[in-house]
Amino acid sequence: MKLVRAVLALVAIVIVAAVAFTAYAWFIVRDGKETGAPQPAVAGAPASITDPIARGEYLTRAADCAACHTVPGGQPFTGGLAFKMPFGTIYSTNITADKETGIGDWSDDEFVRALHAGVRKDGQPLYPAFPYTSYTALSRDDVLAIKAYLFSLPPKHAPATPNELSFPFNQRWGLSVWNALFLKKERFQPVQGKSEAWNRGAYLATALGHCDECHTPRNAMYALKSSQALSGEVLQGWKAYNITPDKTYGIGNWSEQQLADYLSKGHAGGRGTASGPMGEVVQNSLQYLSQEDIAALVTYLREAKPQQGSAGTEVNERPALALASTANAPGAEELAQGGLGQHLFQGACAACHAWNGQGRQVEAAALLGTQAANDPEAHNLTQVILQGSTLRTMHGETSMPSFGQAYTDAEVAALGNFVLVHFGGKPATLTADEVAKRRTP
Amino acid sequence: MIVLNINGESRSVDVPDDMPLLWVLRDVIGLTGTKFGCGIAQCGACTVHLDGAAVRSCVLPVSAVGSKAVTTIEGVGASAVGKKVQQAWLDIEVVQCGYCQSGQIMSATALLAATPEPSDAEIDVAMSGNICRCGTYVRIREAIKQVATGQKVAPQTIPNVAPTASPAAAAAALLSFVRVEDMA
Repeated sequence: MKLVRAVLALVAIVIVAAVAFTAYAWFIVRDGKETGAPQPAVAGAPASITDPIARGEYLTRAADCAACHTVPGGQPFTGGLAFKMPFGTIYSTNITADKETGIGDWSDDEFVRALHAGVRKDGQPLYPAFPYTSYTALSRDDVLAIKAYLFSLPPKHAPATPNELSFPFNQRWGLSVWNALFLKKERFQPVQGKSEAWNRGAYLATALGHCDECHTPRNAMYALKSSQALSGEVLQGWKAYNITPDKTYGIGNWSEQQLADYLSKGHAGGRGTASGPMGEVVQNSLQYLSQEDIAALVTYLREAKPQQGSAGTEVNERPALALASTANAPGAEELAQGGLGQHLFQGACAACHAWNGQGRQVEAAALLGTQAANDPEAHNLTQVILQGSTLRTMHGETSMPSFGQAYTDAEVAALGNFVLVHFGGKPATLTADEVAKRRTP
Repeated sequence: MIVLNINGESRSVDVPDDMPLLWVLRDVIGLTGTKFGCGIAQCGACTVHLDGAAVRSCVLPVSAVGSKAVTTIEGVGASAVGKKVQQAWLDIEVVQCGYCQSGQIMSATALLAATPEPSDAEIDVAMSGNICRCGTYVRIREAIKQVATGQKVAPQTIPNVAPTASPAAAAAALLSFVRVEDMA
C-alpha cells in the first residue's frame, strides 16, 4: 500500500507540475520581450539603401517571406502554400494588407509580436512552420520595415485555407508549451571579438535567412538540434546539405568564389547547381543580396562549427567511370556492360550532361563534383529527375525538363543508380519502391 | 551588342543575354538551316558546334557562347571531316524528310572529328541524342562508317563524279545510274 501511495503521489506531483508549466507557458506566450530587452545595433539592409520601403523590400527578400507565403504562379504574399508534415498539412496565410483576410488591420506592435513571439493578432500561437524561432532575433526596426513594404503592395482578398491537422496537433494552446521549451525570445546581439562581416553574416544567416530551419536536424519534438547545427537534413523529399566548413562532408573545400557564386547565382563551377527549395531560395532571396552581404554570409559559414557526416556521403571528386569517359561516350568497358540506366542516360541526359560530367551547353549541367551525384540516398537526384529543375535569376534562366511522367519507378531508379555509380562512384542503392514513395513526398 | 564568330565570320547582334543561340541564328541572323525541334535539348535537331563540340543551340544562352567558334550546317562543309560527312550523306541518300538531318550531320561530324574510327556502339551512343522520326538510323550509321573507313559498303545512290568532270558528264553518269536502277 505504501508503494501505491508513493506512486500516486508521484503521479500527482507530475500532473501538478505539468499543469503549472502549461499555465506558465500560456501566461508568457504573448510576451515578445519588447521592453527591457536590448535592441540589436545591427540593421539587415545595407546603409546605402535609404528609402524605407526599399529597405523593407531588401529585408523581405533576405528573410525569404515569399518562399512560403506565395504559391507558384500566384500573387506574391497571398499565402495558400501547403506544408505536408507527418501530423497533417499546414497552409501559409495571406500577409498582404487586406483588412479582412490579410494583415491590413494589424498594429505595428501586433506584427512585431508575431515575429518575436510567434503569436497572431488574436494572441493564439502560430505554428513553428513560420520560422519565428529565427525571426525573434530581428530588430524591431527591421520587422517594421518589412511591414511597411508588405503594406505598400496591393492588398488581395485571399481567405486562409484551413489547416488539416490531427489531434492533439490541432490544439494551438499546446504550442505555448513548445515555445516555453524551445523559443528563446532574444534579439540578435553582435558577438564581441568577431569581425563586422561575421556579425553581419550571422544576422543574415540566422535572424533573416533562417538557414538553420532547413539545414539543421530536428529532434523528436521538431525543435532544432543546435549541437548539430547546419549538418544537413531531409525535408519534403529534398536534402538540405551539410553547409559547415568540414572539408570532407561540408563546404570546407569550396573557394570563396564558389560559395559566393552558389549563393548569388545558384551555380558554383565544379560544385553544383541549386535546385528544389534551395533553387527557390536563390531565386527569391539570395540573388538580391548585395555583394558585401554575400561575402558576409560566406565569412559566417566559414567559421561555423565543422560537422562530420556519415561515411560514404563524401563527394568523390575523381569518379573512375566519369574520368574514363569522353564528352561523347563512356569508356569502352562500361559501354560494353550496357544496362537500362546507361541506355536511358544515353537517350535523354547525355546531350546536356555529357558522359564525362562536364556539362555540354550550359555549365549548370555539369554533374562532376556535385553533391546530388554523391548522396548515396539520392534524395535530390531523384527529385530532379522526377520534377526537373528551373533556376531563374537576373543572370538568366537554366532549366531541365522533368521525367517523372515519362519514366516508371524502375526506370527512374535505374537512371538514378547509373548517375550515382558513374558520376559519384557510389553503390547503386536506389530502388523502384523508394522512387514510388518519393513521388509524393 | 554581342559579337559572335559564326562559320568564320564575325557577327554583331543586339539581343538579350539569355536568348537561345538557336533564335539568334534563325531569327536574327537568318541562318535557318539549323532547326527547332523540341526546345529542351531532347531531340538534337538544333545541334551546332562550339569549338568543334556538338551542342544543342535551343538551350544555349547566347551570352554563354563567348569567343568560341560557332559552326552551323551552313558552314560545316568547310572542314575536311564535314565535307566527307556531307558527301557520304549524299552518296547513300541518308535523308528522308530531312528535318532532323542538319542536327544529325553536325553530331556525326563532331563524333568523327574526335573519334575518327568509332565502333558501332560508339556511333549509337554519340548519335542517340539525335532523334529521326523517319527512322534513317541505319543509313546514318552506314554513312558514318563510310567516312570512317573510306569503304563504300552500302548501296551508293549517286555515283561519285570526278570534280573535273563537266556538268554534261555528270548528268550522263547520273543517267546511266538511273537506267541501271530501272532495269534492276
